[in-house]
Amino acid sequence: MVDNYLFIGFVAFYLLGAVSALVFNKKDALCSYISFLSASIGALAGFAFSLSVILGDTFHFILNEGQIPEFGFFIDKLSAFFILVISISVFAVSIFSTGYVREYFGKKNIGYLCFLYNMFILSMILVICANNAIMFLIVWELMSVISFFLVVYEHEKIETRKAGFFYIVMTHIGTGFIILSFLIFAGTSGSFSFETFRAAGSTMTPFLKDSAFLFAFIGFGIKAGIVPFHIWLPYAHPAAPGNVSALMSGVMIKTAIFMLIRISFDFLGASQAWWGYSVLAVGTISAILGILYAVVEPDMKRMLAFSSIENIGIILIGLGASMIFLSNEKPILSAIAMMAALYHLLNHSVFKGLLFMGAGSLLYSTHTKNIEKLGGLIKRMPFSAILILIGVLSISAMPPFSGFVSEWLTFQSLLLTFNLDSNFAIIMLSISAAVLALTGALAAYCFLKFFGMVFLALPRSENAQHAREVNIPMLAGMGFFALLSIMLGILPAFILPMLDRIAASFIGTSGQSFSFGTFGTISIPSSAWISISTPGLLAIVLILMFIPIIILFTSKRNMPVYETWGCGQPFSTARNEYSAIAFSKPVQMWFKGLYRPAREMEVTYSSQYLKESFKFKSEIEQVFEKNFYTPVVDFVMAMSRKAKVIQTGSIHAYLGYIFGILVILFMFIIAGGS
Amino acid sequence: MSEVIFGSKIMQLLIAFILVSTFMILGSTRLYSCVRAFGIQSFLLAFVAGIVAYSTGKYDIYIVALLTLIIKSAVIPYIFIYIIREIKVKREVELYVTISPSIIIGGILVVISYYLIRSISIISELSSLALSASVSLVSIGLFIMISRKKALMQMLGILVMENGLFLGAISLTNGMPLLVELGIFFDVLIGVLIMGILIFRINKTFESIDTDMLKTLIG
Repeated sequence: MVDNYLFIGFVAFYLLGAVSALVFNKKDALCSYISFLSASIGALAGFAFSLSVILGDTFHFILNEGQIPEFGFFIDKLSAFFILVISISVFAVSIFSTGYVREYFGKKNIGYLCFLYNMFILSMILVICANNAIMFLIVWELMSVISFFLVVYEHEKIETRKAGFFYIVMTHIGTGFIILSFLIFAGTSGSFSFETFRAAGSTMTPFLKDSAFLFAFIGFGIKAGIVPFHIWLPYAHPAAPGNVSALMSGVMIKTAIFMLIRISFDFLGASQAWWGYSVLAVGTISAILGILYAVVEPDMKRMLAFSSIENIGIILIGLGASMIFLSNEKPILSAIAMMAALYHLLNHSVFKGLLFMGAGSLLYSTHTKNIEKLGGLIKRMPFSAILILIGVLSISAMPPFSGFVSEWLTFQSLLLTFNLDSNFAIIMLSISAAVLALTGALAAYCFLKFFGMVFLALPRSENAQHAREVNIPMLAGMGFFALLSIMLGILPAFILPMLDRIAASFIGTSGQSFSFGTFGTISIPSSAWISISTPGLLAIVLILMFIPIIILFTSKRNMPVYETWGCGQPFSTARNEYSAIAFSKPVQMWFKGLYRPAREMEVTYSSQYLKESFKFKSEIEQVFEKNFYTPVVDFVMAMSRKAKVIQTGSIHAYLGYIFGILVILFMFIIAGGS
Repeated sequence: MSEVIFGSKIMQLLIAFILVSTFMILGSTRLYSCVRAFGIQSFLLAFVAGIVAYSTGKYDIYIVALLTLIIKSAVIPYIFIYIIREIKVKREVELYVTISPSIIIGGILVVISYYLIRSISIISELSSLALSASVSLVSIGLFIMISRKKALMQMLGILVMENGLFLGAISLTNGMPLLVELGIFFDVLIGVLIMGILIFRINKTFESIDTDMLKTLIG
């Protein structure tokens, strides 16, 4: 009963936020406060609701009892977990947004943004709750279209419009595949209800199962941004306003993961081994390629988008491992891998949200997304710097921050593969683990570059010179996530049992594998194998390690103050600094085969020895865009041009087509009738 | 019932006259005479409806007949003539297909329609006459739309098609419910008004109502 009220409550608050945005459209400040406040209250209600479902019973709510098609909401533990993730993100992002949208006051329509923002969240929640394929497709499309409108919010820029177009085309191709998958289910079950899909999953022939899985994997993969369907993501996510990119990257792509779990585990029972291998392979490739492109990207929001591809890859590695274990009849291991994937999903939504909000703050105060143009901001924006540092450490999987625990769990679950009998599985999972290790290292490298280039040294442009600390709501939103990043890192002992319940609800066997010792020590599985992590202990050790450094810095000694990296020069300017391109150069050289960099240098001399100007241009090739998408697009365009011949533009010709077909049909009937 | 009505000699004569009026539209080169032919066709159609009403004794079909008389044979031709006067268009019908081939094609269409209706076996011999006339009207109306250049003739073509459908409907059902008929009349009237406005706009933009000009609109 309480659940009912909570559910209606949080839906109502999002609706209220959307409607009030339209009502107070004329007053920018009032409109943004009311609508974002309402969204954050909705998020709190959603948080309470999802906890009550995770700890209690499945929630079922049908709108039109007994009618066909039956529309309703079905929220089991898995859905509740995703509602939890969404609610947490929405809470922080809404607080952040009240500050962030001030930039648009007077320039853009705030009511429109707030309306779309609330509707976007609502549509994501409904995607998670839908109990029926038809209803699901409606809200899924709603989510895609609303997010498209949010992506093109700054539509006066041409690249934003291009990104929006790219996004909407890709997402509709994805929906096409999803419909195919649902039709296969509906063909067997004879109904569009998800409950009958569940029953149909066990009676389907292997071929139908395979194709249903494959279509769903491609369809939802496009939304999740897996390689090679990722190409829309680095365009669309950076184009949206900062708060929306935080939600899109942090939460929206997770809805695709949700449906992937729902279909492959819940409906189809993860019965085929090759599904697991393909998910694992795609995840591994996404992880490594995503981070490789992120390393060399100078646009910080694009870099974060590429990093999202990497993290989706890591989540898929966990899922794939879980599917492989399940098909090899090791449900306990499967549960552990699933927990790793879910934990990483939660973590990613927190730290990626934090970093996207951080990028939004930097954009807010410097008006540039280019890392090369920033620098020295730690002096100008000290609080943002600390919060972003926490995000950076977290995404780089540094203990004791959140990223560490989930990546460690993913590693552990991959290394548990020696319990399998299949050599192929052992080899695949080990390769995946090795690639994951490389990914982790590159991620650390990438974000080290990000933080160093943005916050340290001297400002490299006017924009950075005049940067100021962002306003309090923005800091509060980021601060909430930063706090959460730390808590998720040092308190896995409280979160893992919850994830265990969720995984157990659809894998069938509980992990039963975690024992918690002092200092938050986790060992998996509790009895047989040795594998211990002590995030809490590590945290204490790290803090102890910092003590000498703190003492070193705080003790007053007589030391000369001089510019950083002066190197004996009489003075140093921002032009002497290491640049972001220079920093990522080694990686670019190691992976030359992938990047295929094109470089151009132009030097003009004023005399024999003195260079007057120096121009350097470097470009990275997008392998998939160039080798796969461009040919396909060219082919489609060429065919369309050929088909255009029949489109003369003359009304008479069009009527003539109709007339011709009519006469042919008449002839057909006459021939058939007599 | 419908066989009795549509089998009667007077009905056959009326249907023949309706077909003849259609050929009048096909065969004339003057806009006015086309509109006049359409008016005659609608008048004959009103007569058909009147006979159906008399022999079935349904009073609402009298209303339908009256509406046909007023709207189709008076109001719509008047709107046509008004448009022709207002936009000072050349009074000639410009053709893609000249008169004699047009009439031959019209004849072929009538034959095709007759065989088409005959090959649908569920329809009895007698009412099939009206039905084949109705299919001929629809296909000749479409042919008029294709082969004439002026936007006014496209409008006329679609009205001929509508008349054909009216004939088909009344011969199959002995008069549809009054509500449906009223809806259709309303649609036709509004359609004509909108098309009229559209023709004014086309004339304003291109300084001609030759639909060939619309070719320049393709991207």
